[in-house]
Amino acid sequence: MVHISDGVLSLPVLAAGWAITIALIAITLWWSKRKGSIVEEIPKLSVMTAAFFVASLIHIAIGPTSVHLILSGLVGVILGILAYPAIFIGLILQAFLFGHGGVTVLGVNTIDMGIPALVAYGIFKAGNKLIPSESLTSKAGLLGALTGGIAVALAVSLTAGMLYTLGKEYTWAIKALIIYHIPIIVIEAIIVGSVVAFLVKVKPELIGSLGGEKE
Amino acid sequence: MIEYPEIDRYASLDSPLHLFDPRAKLIAFLFLIFSVVLIPDLKIAFIGLFFAIFMLILSRIPLTFVLSYMKWVAMFVLSFFIILAFTFPGEEIAEFYFLSITAEGLYTGSLITIRAFSAVILIFPMIGTMRFDTTIKALDRLKVPNSLVQMLMFTYRYIFVFVDEFQRIWTAMESRGFKLRTTLYALRTIGNAMGMLFVRSYERAERVYQAMRSRGYTGNPKTLVEFEIRMKDYLLAVSIIGFAVSLHTISFFLP
Repeated sequence: MVHISDGVLSLPVLAAGWAITIALIAITLWWSKRKGSIVEEIPKLSVMTAAFFVASLIHIAIGPTSVHLILSGLVGVILGILAYPAIFIGLILQAFLFGHGGVTVLGVNTIDMGIPALVAYGIFKAGNKLIPSESLTSKAGLLGALTGGIAVALAVSLTAGMLYTLGKEYTWAIKALIIYHIPIIVIEAIIVGSVVAFLVKVKPELIGSLGGEKE
Repeated sequence: MIEYPEIDRYASLDSPLHLFDPRAKLIAFLFLIFSVVLIPDLKIAFIGLFFAIFMLILSRIPLTFVLSYMKWVAMFVLSFFIILAFTFPGEEIAEFYFLSITAEGLYTGSLITIRAFSAVILIFPMIGTMRFDTTIKALDRLKVPNSLVQMLMFTYRYIFVFVDEFQRIWTAMESRGFKLRTTLYALRTIGNAMGMLFVRSYERAERVYQAMRSRGYTGNPKTLVEFEIRMKDYLLAVSIIGFAVSLHTISFFLP
């Protein structure tokens, strides 16, 4: 539900969203290319993007409704800064293939989900260095849960901020959006925590922010 | 549990929009979508909606198919509509106990709903009338950066593989008696299943990449399909864009 639909936001917000997203994609791709060609990375990056796409289709029931996972924190932890273009691609496909989100709001929605992914990457990387490692699995699990939760909270705040540009008449709609997402923050924290703990145990090279920066 | 994303299920029908040049079609419809979502007036928004429905009829894509795709947007927009109707400040026109509906809330809610529905409907004449790989090729011809086009292509391809993959993991879990509830245990189990999906996809990605390299992949995909733009494509594109522009010019002449 952090996907804002078409037809809600105003032209300046849509335009700013596209401008920021295009700039961030260019920067993140350029930053990764600096260390060598990313041609090699593209198939791998895309396969992971597809896996995230599928994982985000899983629905979890909360009371009468069901929610789908957002997973931007996990994308950040695994893909690092390339999470931003990956999320953009994921959102294009969600808009085109599922009518989820919208076409004109792609820029804005990529900001809402991509910035939290970048922040999650930063937190995970920093936390991993700062906290002395006793048990790698439980540390990664806790950090994963933390970043997963923070990423959703941040994504909701950014979405709320975008809606707030419409005017203060929308206060109640924004409050409803935030309340709706509180259980999702908890669910995502648990799930992202267990995914990260699992990956550290089974395939640690998958986690880009474990210091294993792609050479 | 998970459905296939089959936007191009009706790509093989025969209609004027199926014959429309993919590049011209993308540009014309994207322009139109941007135009309808920015309509400031409810009456004109309805004209936009009717035009979107007209385009859908022209494309011959069945309505039931479109309706099933609209559920996400409907969920978002209708909850927005209800909240706005009750909370938007303005002239009160109806009251239920302590809640009241305002005229301004209804107007704004309807405007947002109509614009959002028009935009979703227009995706079908645009994307649903050609195979999705044609859409990606058209984006490539329209000079979308190569790395993004390739990511789009590979990601699209692998979504189908992973839907199957996850379905297998899921069937295995269910056959061992797992039920998806909102409990800590169930959520952690889902987390592990997702982790397994990532591990398998990563390993598959390695193999795919090796196989592609050994067949001479350099990062610059070559395609065999060539597009040919004709006079009638220009005409159709210009008339759609003209309509999109007129949606905004007529709003100046309204009271």
